Amino acid sequence: MNNTSKSLAIINAKAPYSSTAGKDALDIALIFGSFEQTVSLFFQGEGVWQLIRKQDGSIISVKDYLKTFAAFEFYDIKNVYVCQSSLKERNLSESFHIDNIKVLNQQDFATELTSHHLILRF
Amino acid sequence: MKKLAVIITTPPYSNLSVTALDYIETALKSGIELIGVFFYQDGVLHADVNTQIASDEFQALAYWKKLHKEYLLPLHLCITAAEKRGMSDEHNKNIHPAFTVSGLGELVELSTKADRLVQF
Repeated sequence: MNNTSKSLAIINAKAPYSSTAGKDALDIALIFGSFEQTVSLFFQGEGVWQLIRKQDGSIISVKDYLKTFAAFEFYDIKNVYVCQSSLKERNLSESFHIDNIKVLNQQDFATELTSHHLILRF
Repeated sequence: MKKLAVIITTPPYSNLSVTALDYIETALKSGIELIGVFFYQDGVLHADVNTQIASDEFQALAYWKKLHKEYLLPLHLCITAAEKRGMSDEHNKNIHPAFTVSGLGELVELSTKADRLVQF
């Protein structure tokens, strides 16, 4: 492995339990984190549901991957951004199941996103 | 020389497969160094030898085999994503040998080495 560090932005645009997209994105974030790469997470559109409290996948026989979000700090994942207008469109409050989430307007969300070297979308 | 890496997250029956393969072949023909293709999510289905796609449909696997042979293009398969979809190199042995069984660490490696990473 060479030491060139690149920052990765992962866009989460899908609801947590209708597909495995959220879990697949999480696995990438944790691997990049454990290789000491800079990773930021962006939640947009239906993806904002991944941050909402009191969800339990086990009711529909899906592993509750959302609880792993609590380990972001351990993996040095410091930047978690959520799109304010996506929350508003869904009438969701800015109350999440993990701390230190930055709620950004569309302009700032886009600015942060494009400040990364790589973008993956799930 | 600029280095390119590609991540495939869509299945072989997706129209994006055609676009991805065209893109990759064009890059290779233009002399761009393609350091590897990483298959993730439904993208791993590209490597399944048991999938028979109707003969009048696009044959993605045949195309991957051709690029792998002609250009020695590295094809990396996320084994966790493959096993989740019933594919295995140990049990049912349905992974085509052109594909290298690997994990997400390989994606980190590719993305740090490449000047550009493109997702299909």
